[in-house]
Amino acid sequence: MITDGELTALRLSIQSAALGTLLAFPIAGLLALILVRSRIKWKFLLDTLVSIPLVMPPIITGYSLLLLLGKNGPLGSIIDKTFGVEIIFTWVAAALAAGLIALPLMVRAIEVSLTEMDPRMELVARSLGASRWHAFWTITLPLCKKGIIAAILLGFARGLGEFGATLIVAGNIPGRTQTLPLAMFTELQSGNDYSVIRLVLLSLILTCSTLLIHHVLIRKRKTEAK
Amino acid sequence: MNAFLNANLKKKTCSFSLNASLSFTEGISAIFGPSGSGKTTLLNCIAGLVRPDQGEILLNGKILFSSNKKINLPPENRALGYMFQDSLLFPHLNVLENIKYGYKTTPSRFRKIKIPDLIDLLKLDSLLLRNPSSLSGGEKRRVALARALSTSPSMLLLDEPLSSLHSSLRGEIMRYLRTISDDLSIPMIYVSHSMSEVIAMANHVLVLNNGSVVALDEPYKLLGRKDFPSLGYEESLENLFDVTITERRENNGTVMGQIGEVRLALPLFPVEVGQTVSISLKASDIMLASEKPHGISARNVFSARITSLKHLGNRVLVQTCNGHNWLSEITLDAVDDLHLTEGSTVYMVIKTNSLIPLG
Repeated sequence: MITDGELTALRLSIQSAALGTLLAFPIAGLLALILVRSRIKWKFLLDTLVSIPLVMPPIITGYSLLLLLGKNGPLGSIIDKTFGVEIIFTWVAAALAAGLIALPLMVRAIEVSLTEMDPRMELVARSLGASRWHAFWTITLPLCKKGIIAAILLGFARGLGEFGATLIVAGNIPGRTQTLPLAMFTELQSGNDYSVIRLVLLSLILTCSTLLIHHVLIRKRKTEAK
Repeated sequence: MNAFLNANLKKKTCSFSLNASLSFTEGISAIFGPSGSGKTTLLNCIAGLVRPDQGEILLNGKILFSSNKKINLPPENRALGYMFQDSLLFPHLNVLENIKYGYKTTPSRFRKIKIPDLIDLLKLDSLLLRNPSSLSGGEKRRVALARALSTSPSMLLLDEPLSSLHSSLRGEIMRYLRTISDDLSIPMIYVSHSMSEVIAMANHVLVLNNGSVVALDEPYKLLGRKDFPSLGYEESLENLFDVTITERRENNGTVMGQIGEVRLALPLFPVEVGQTVSISLKASDIMLASEKPHGISARNVFSARITSLKHLGNRVLVQTCNGHNWLSEITLDAVDDLHLTEGSTVYMVIKTNSLIPLG
């Protein structure tokens, strides 16, 4: 049967993917807004930058995070000084890795629905007495709901599968940072075939149900629109 | 009448520069010009959707924009209703929610127009729970119009309200606009590239060409002006007017309608007695005769006095009046032959089938 260690790996996977998605979402939203709406000159550079975690070996992403968050890293030292904690080799680091790897996917999903929306809708709202914020909350956000749902669920699903970057920045510490893919890797190396199969099944159930939820939600929105 | 809206503004975009100075009185005013002349840009400047580079916009004495005083009220604080060219209903809200959107953002003390009255006025009762995507073009315009009015605006801005509408719906929307102007006494600015529409709808028209104001006058007075050829030259002008149905003559294949003193025989179409319908009649479809013709198949023959003769190249635009103003278009040759002059009386001859009901 499923061991406690495997269940912990499952919990850690969900935990880190969820936190990673949560942290990445506002950033993804902002990036998508800039990419679609703003008229800045060097937009294509930002566009390329956003895609980097998608195409680069995850090891590099993990290594960059390690440099950034390490005790002497620019961000790590600030966190260490103000909170007295170290993020490296904790599940939070795993969450950050998952979030960063999922970010490009989330940006693209939101970008698609922002592009589909007529930007004049906001102007209509403004002409109807809505402030910029009110127009954003009542018109832009609901019209991008599809993209937002897709971004969150696909980002979460991608985070669940994160391996390389997590290994570098969070390590492979059973019970603390060992997520499902890392546990699988460990069990595979020690030849624990049955454990591997159980972990694979757990992983499959988790990701498939996430994608299924996404499918159902999007379908529901389509029928509502009709 | 006092000026309601005063504006004096400059706006440069990459493609052209707008330099307009205008003052509109109450009632319906039009902005006319060929496409690309800056009509919509001017409207957007007034609405606050585009910021002018320089100038001033005053609505009823209130400053909406002033580059000197560094005032630029955001669109939500201008209390203007704006109907966009392609309706742009919010797709995630149903018809009622669309209409209520502006009502909700308006502080209660400014809510002069009530939602039920709007629903009544624009006959939206049966559409309230529908999704915008399921509406026809005409229905969308009506909802967009109701939505623009829901903030109880002090002025209504309309960007080509009749464009891309099926001809049978143009009359309906035109009548609604007139009703709004008359019943709610909300001044309107109506952007159009059709002189016929402008003549039918507006008291005043501002003519724009390449971003500059060419003229500001009553629409009839501008016809045939040589300094601005596109005033009626390119377009085949139509008379657009409303008639009240007085009688159905099923056996004769006609419907009788009244406009002022004139009784018109219209082609038979599904309409009830007492109903008002809009009619389109091409200026070139009216024949003029110096004597009353007899033994003629055309069912509409009535006399009118010529108020003006205007030359548009090799065509002549004859304006006649018998309580209602009519535009007919004939050749130079015919004018000479019939010795037509201003003030003389002519007989207008109109075939029943030239009178096209617009619904």
